[in-house]
Amino acid sequence: MSERRATSSTKRHSNGNGRGPLSSLESLYRDLPGTAMSATGTLAMRLRDVTGRDVIDLESLQDIVSIGYRVAELRSQHRSGRYNVDEFGFDPEFANTLVPFFKLVYRRYWRVDSVGLEHVPEHGSALLVSNHSGVLPLDGVMIAVAVHEQTDRFVRPLIATWFGSMPMLSWFLRRAGGTLGHPDDTLRLLARDELVLVFPEGVRGTGKPFRERYRLRRFGRGGFVEMALRAGVPIVPISVVGAEEIYPMIADLQPLAKLTGFPYFPITPTWPWLGPLGLVPLPTKWRIRFHEPVRTDEHGAKAADDPSFVMRISDEVRDTIQQGLVTELMNRRSVFRG
Amino acid sequence: MAETRRVLITGVSRFWGCQLARRLEEHPSIERIIAIDNNAPPIELHRTDFIRADIRHSLIGKLLTALDIDTVVHAGLIVDPRRASPRMVHETNVIGTMNLIAACSAATSPVRKLVVKSSTAVYGSEPDDPSIWSETMTRRAPPRDTFTRDLDEVEGYVRDFSLRRPEAVTTLLRFANVLGPTHVTPFARLFDLSAVPTVAGFDPRLQFLHENDAISVLEEAVLRDHAGTYNVAGSGVVVLSQAISLMGKFNLQLLPFVGAELTMGLVNRIVPLGFAPHLTRFLQYGRVVDTGAMQGAFDVRLEHSTSATLVEHARLRRVRDIVRAEQSYTYEAELEDFLRSQRGSDVGGRRTATASAAARPVARRRAPRAGNGSRPQREPEMTS
Repeated sequence: MSERRATSSTKRHSNGNGRGPLSSLESLYRDLPGTAMSATGTLAMRLRDVTGRDVIDLESLQDIVSIGYRVAELRSQHRSGRYNVDEFGFDPEFANTLVPFFKLVYRRYWRVDSVGLEHVPEHGSALLVSNHSGVLPLDGVMIAVAVHEQTDRFVRPLIATWFGSMPMLSWFLRRAGGTLGHPDDTLRLLARDELVLVFPEGVRGTGKPFRERYRLRRFGRGGFVEMALRAGVPIVPISVVGAEEIYPMIADLQPLAKLTGFPYFPITPTWPWLGPLGLVPLPTKWRIRFHEPVRTDEHGAKAADDPSFVMRISDEVRDTIQQGLVTELMNRRSVFRG
Repeated sequence: MAETRRVLITGVSRFWGCQLARRLEEHPSIERIIAIDNNAPPIELHRTDFIRADIRHSLIGKLLTALDIDTVVHAGLIVDPRRASPRMVHETNVIGTMNLIAACSAATSPVRKLVVKSSTAVYGSEPDDPSIWSETMTRRAPPRDTFTRDLDEVEGYVRDFSLRRPEAVTTLLRFANVLGPTHVTPFARLFDLSAVPTVAGFDPRLQFLHENDAISVLEEAVLRDHAGTYNVAGSGVVVLSQAISLMGKFNLQLLPFVGAELTMGLVNRIVPLGFAPHLTRFLQYGRVVDTGAMQGAFDVRLEHSTSATLVEHARLRRVRDIVRAEQSYTYEAELEDFLRSQRGSDVGGRRTATASAAARPVARRRAPRAGNGSRPQREPEMTS
């Protein structure tokens, strides 16, 4: 109803005649976010003057407002069907809409400190390799946000194949830039100068019990090294600290997992006891360290056919990540405060 | 590389065969076009000789030698299972192809080019499929539905032919879903519904191909030599919800993600969409193929991208009812035939095709040499 009224008044407005009550209502509707924004801004300034610290964080506020705007924009765009997804199903507009929300989480909730972002290339492809943890693959999201903040590039994560059979998740992850961890997909993405994020531990990493936190699992069969060698792209090892504690997994109900098709069914102090509330992750303090890239172009694509060489590079990357974890953990005094 | 002169087209009673025959008629370099099928072509063909014959019959081999056919286009694969019973589909697709290819690969066979129209359905639709299929990749799990299994078998026969007759040019074209004004596909029927049933929680990536582009590719494969297997699809990708938005329809997330095929079966009972199990899987998991090989080798510029195909289709569907009321082309053609027969001129073929698999071609319109001026305005383009 209000929408129809708004359009009709816009028409009248553009004709130049008639400035009735409808027109003023429409302008109010249009200016409201801006007015609210500036009012809150003034309030934030006053509060800071009075209390001497930031009570309202203006940056986060801006993010919240832009989330609303972008969601509205995206919805109208999607209603018309006039948007483009790439062959992998990635919709940059969709990802752009998600960015402010996850930036908020990145900055305010997990207070992520990212170190060594200069190792992520500004252009050209690279294979980002990280440890995997935290039951839900939120570490991938935070790495993506970190990279996006630094370079404005979207990371293309490789996701476990079973996500393809999951309703909602299957299209959501694709729309946000993910694709299944298939060798051909990886090579295609790397050939297109994309930043590909891979978790060689896979679900073995996210589904490990709490007591085994920060202990890297086997790095698959070194497939990621093979891909990097074939594409001749650098490998950037990444250590993520903080994600292990967001959902402390006490137990894994395998029978239930088998029933639902998940690779594991976690029991945490809050899940499933608190229902949907149990899905809220703990506000740990995160640190993401991007290590010096491992160059692969000097070895040539042929090296990918040598399993022993591939495994050696794989171990090298794994050691770098594990070492990074250990160093970060040594310096961390509190899980929640950092 | 010898030129294509005498072409045999199968499946001419359906979209692919008859549209291709019509296109090939425009090429004066092609001396003769023989079209075989069980049923008559739906459109007026001018210099195509239609033979009512079953490709399952062994007389096909004799026909090839007798007419000295150099190029065989197998466009008769049924990929829309609503058109026929499953048994009929199997008979036509597998047995028909087997017989046709056996005829082509006989020692005495004059055939030096085989073009087969297949479908990207051979790749299947599984949740853990690679995002993009290239021609060299094969599905990991064997197909579960009979249609795709048949298609697999058909492609096997084609591969056998290319091995047995390495000197011949074998072109296998895998087409994505086609949309357009004349070809009624399951997807066209699906998009005609005002509320399109989709699988809840799934939004697959799809590719479409405009029917004109599809025929252009087929035509190019006949005219020039392109040995090998090629995926054919419009450029770009759409997701299903986007396709529905472009068609201006409502996305009804009706089918449960477990047992979608079963539910689609029920929907098919109410609305005859012709959505076979493999298509329902496609609706759930989608499929994208790499068309790079085709774009590199073929001298054809596809006029419609995937989304342009949908937009174009939506535009035409909006005026469909009006256009249909105006449409009287077939009637005119028959009237013309009638008038001609009244004048006592050549109308030999139109209704006198033989019922059995006879190797006696019945001229529908052998205009150029036997021409008696019954339709002079057509002559120059046919003879020159």
